[in-house]
Amino acid sequence: MSFTEYFELLFNDYTLRTISLGTAILGAICGMLGSFAVLRKQSLLGDAISHAALPGIAIAFLITGTKETNVLLIGALISGLIGAFWIRGITRRTHLKSDTALGLILSIFFGFGMLLLTYIQKQPNANQAGLDKFLFGQAATLLARDVWFMATVTLVCLLVLLLFWKEFKILLFDADYAKTLGFNTKMIDTLITSFIVLAIVLGLQTVGVVLMSAMLLAPAAAARQWTNSLGIMVVLAAFFGATSGVIGTAISASQNNLSTGPVIVLVAAAFVVFSFIFSPSRGLLFRQIRFVKNRKDLQLHKTLAFMFDIAKSHENISHPHTVKILNNFHGYTRKSLSKLEDKEYIRVEGLMWAMTEKGFHFAENLYNQQVEEND
Amino acid sequence: MTSAQLEIQLIASLVAIACAIPGTFLVLRKMALISDAISHSILPGLVIGFFITHDLGSPLLIIMAALSGVVTVVLVEFIQKTKLVKEDTAIGLVFPAMFSIGVILISKNANDIHLDTDVVLLGELAFAPFDRFLLDGMDLGPKSLWTIGVILIITLSLLFAFFKELKISTFDAGLATALGFSPAVLHYGLMSVASVTTVGAFDAVGAILVVALMIAPAATAYLLTDNLKKMLLLSVFFGVFSAISGYWLAHWLDASISGSMTTILGMVFLLVYLFAPKRGLISVLYRNKQQQIEVSLLTFLLHLNNHTEKNERHINHLNEHINWQKVRSKSVVDLALRNNMITIDKDIISLTEKGKNFTDKAIDYIITNDDSKIESIKEDFFLFRG
Amino acid sequence: MKQQKFAVTVDDLTVAYNYKPVLWDIDLAIPEGVMMAIVGPNGAGKSTLIKAILGIIDPIAGSVSIYGKPYKKQRKLVGYVPQKGSVDWDFPTTALDVVLMGTYGSLGWIKRPGKKEKKTALESLEKVGMLSFKDRQISQLSGGQQQRVFLARALAQDAAIYFMDEPFQGVDATTEIAIINILKELRKEGKTVVVVHHDLQTVPEYFDWVTFLNVKKIATGPVKEIFNDDNLTKTYGINYKVSVQK
Repeated sequence: MSFTEYFELLFNDYTLRTISLGTAILGAICGMLGSFAVLRKQSLLGDAISHAALPGIAIAFLITGTKETNVLLIGALISGLIGAFWIRGITRRTHLKSDTALGLILSIFFGFGMLLLTYIQKQPNANQAGLDKFLFGQAATLLARDVWFMATVTLVCLLVLLLFWKEFKILLFDADYAKTLGFNTKMIDTLITSFIVLAIVLGLQTVGVVLMSAMLLAPAAAARQWTNSLGIMVVLAAFFGATSGVIGTAISASQNNLSTGPVIVLVAAAFVVFSFIFSPSRGLLFRQIRFVKNRKDLQLHKTLAFMFDIAKSHENISHPHTVKILNNFHGYTRKSLSKLEDKEYIRVEGLMWAMTEKGFHFAENLYNQQVEEND
Repeated sequence: MTSAQLEIQLIASLVAIACAIPGTFLVLRKMALISDAISHSILPGLVIGFFITHDLGSPLLIIMAALSGVVTVVLVEFIQKTKLVKEDTAIGLVFPAMFSIGVILISKNANDIHLDTDVVLLGELAFAPFDRFLLDGMDLGPKSLWTIGVILIITLSLLFAFFKELKISTFDAGLATALGFSPAVLHYGLMSVASVTTVGAFDAVGAILVVALMIAPAATAYLLTDNLKKMLLLSVFFGVFSAISGYWLAHWLDASISGSMTTILGMVFLLVYLFAPKRGLISVLYRNKQQQIEVSLLTFLLHLNNHTEKNERHINHLNEHINWQKVRSKSVVDLALRNNMITIDKDIISLTEKGKNFTDKAIDYIITNDDSKIESIKEDFFLFRG
Repeated sequence: MKQQKFAVTVDDLTVAYNYKPVLWDIDLAIPEGVMMAIVGPNGAGKSTLIKAILGIIDPIAGSVSIYGKPYKKQRKLVGYVPQKGSVDWDFPTTALDVVLMGTYGSLGWIKRPGKKEKKTALESLEKVGMLSFKDRQISQLSGGQQQRVFLARALAQDAAIYFMDEPFQGVDATTEIAIINILKELRKEGKTVVVVHHDLQTVPEYFDWVTFLNVKKIATGPVKEIFNDDNLTKTYGINYKVSVQK
């Protein structure tokens, strides 16, 4: 199946539409909540929680013997939460640092989960084939009711987000201050964390435990580059997430043998790379351009300031001087002289130059501006 | 026990030792997650190396993998320098992307490649004995035994050669720089050893379980000791223990060897986390409780010492002003009474001579905040606990 | 001395971090309308004292009251300027947005800031001379400007008592003067200002009341009476001599 065929099918084929809708919703909720995770410096907690969810899936299967996704996800939720609380217990009660606690819990839980998975695979009644999809995700296994469930959770999450927007914002920015204003920070904190865990668990079927954390981080990291407003960042992240979900699913569906998780993650990573480079205010490209331009401006300003010092000593600021005086000045070139003339800061007649009124004022203010910037 | 079983256990133990040594330093330097990042991101290097050589045992694979490990570290540090995102986000962005590339490359070429995603996650220790290292037709043992053996020897010789430098730079980076050991050289040296070890351990235990072997033994050991040498020895011990018992657990369950090694590591950590004599959860909670009582007692004595007015020393004042619950005030007063530090006369509490001395000593410590004084006071406290 | 009303009363306050005590049995009464500095060496518990008064940290003993009632009931009378370094200045938000947060307390849960709150925030920004920067992303402000935004946020709380944690740290001289002028303005309006302060030289110039703190309270009172070498020595442990400029 080619890529264009896929989009044709998208409008006709029920299954494909369901799957695409599911990944779009998932991407949106991940982007939204991922913004909070990134701003709270909890980027890697998501990684630990998603890995820690694996044994829960296996245990839920061993106990119930069902492949019912929702049952397995409840198992995932429980073991993910146990992992998260254990990480907190370790960093609080012992002198082990958070990086050690995160790495420890994620690898141990995951290892235990893999032990159980391999054990299940060897069982005679092995109708186990479905569990593997939780490693790297298989969007094709999404059913309509999975999508409905995701949509409901996302809607609830969105409502809570809108309702407590102000509280979320102040907690993220300055939790201590929020506390002095009388907000129950513990409650808001629990609310945010539970939503993040919920989003992770929802994504396990589509993206898989191994790469789920990137689904949270990448859209948010990309969105952060385009805006300085939390609201816009959350909306953009949701958009980037949804787009990566849909495009990723499309690519993986159009190829054989491709899990959805890695493809979605790579599409999201492409958004990140693009944003890092091309964002107008923070991006590396424009940063470099500004840097070069500033350096050029600085050269020009230096020359102008030098001229200003000469012109200042005369009563008539437009008194002409020979170009020769400038020869000893370091930043002076013919080109910079003509540039200054273009800007009408000076007039050049033959071998003489004179400052204009405009140039004089600009040079004067230049000095003041610099003082202010040093503030 | 067959010779294949013996060989598997030997390989697993060597992998565990080779991981535990750099792991200890990573944990102490708060860089544990770098091992996570490296282990994920060497995958594309491995796969590309395999495409070139079509031989899983080729040294080119190790070089390519180590190269992509270094690329990751450089990329993470580059992103961190741009300040576009927070440091942890930089790590969290790079390694899933690299890993995804690797997984996609594998799935796209699933037909002509012996790697599959299960191997990536779990390794294939069980098959290690079948891939023999043959020299002129002579069987010199399994290939992976040689690979990990060489890596271990290099790691050990580096450890012995630079032990002093590593120790100083880990515990006091400032001093190390002052003494002329470049922290950058040690940092990248450690990164390289960690990368190479990860690559060497990769086909035995897989991408994610390498992380467990690096972090878990060191973290467990760190709960038991502060001494670097003891910590290294303990983590090696935990690593080998989990390798051997993990093998038998897997044998019994007929499940993944590396999965069960990790599970054993997890159980060992859980036990130590709960029961370690000084830093275990139980002793920490017990100590916190004791400290809470001690602090309350001191607060109470100090209050008596500060106030001569009768109304401040009235027994009811405790509940009202100091803001303690009745039960707590009572237990604190009882404790002080039992130790003859106070007397109560018509509900007015007064310090005894002993109480005064004790309070003076405590104040001395509080004001000077001299750590050496804590010790003598701590001893006193144990005396007072009845 | 005439009968004074106390804005803040602290009784027998003891605070511990991880069961290691950092403040011991503090009794403190801050009269209404003073401008008070809290001074003491590093680790003396100055910030902790403010945080305990504001309920950010739970004390293990003692009580705090604001105008005779517990803090929880009097929140709206109290404004707070935390240490500048305590927040992430790369947070995606503007100066105006940060100042608006000062109005969140009076709004309570769920309600959004409206026109009235925005007006308050803009006025506060104007008071600190930052009105023209209202739409600036906060990371693009200089250290002094960030501090002014923090001050504006507290002003937007329209409180009776202001607590400030090292407001002069890492700010330029102009901002320092601007801030101190605003504080003096506040005092003129009869408000009480409590500042954790580091620079001993400027204490007599800026403040009229001072508390010496080093785990225990050493002394508290009018600067003119108690800001002397004796108390400084007691607080800082070494023989301390400042040339007090009158």
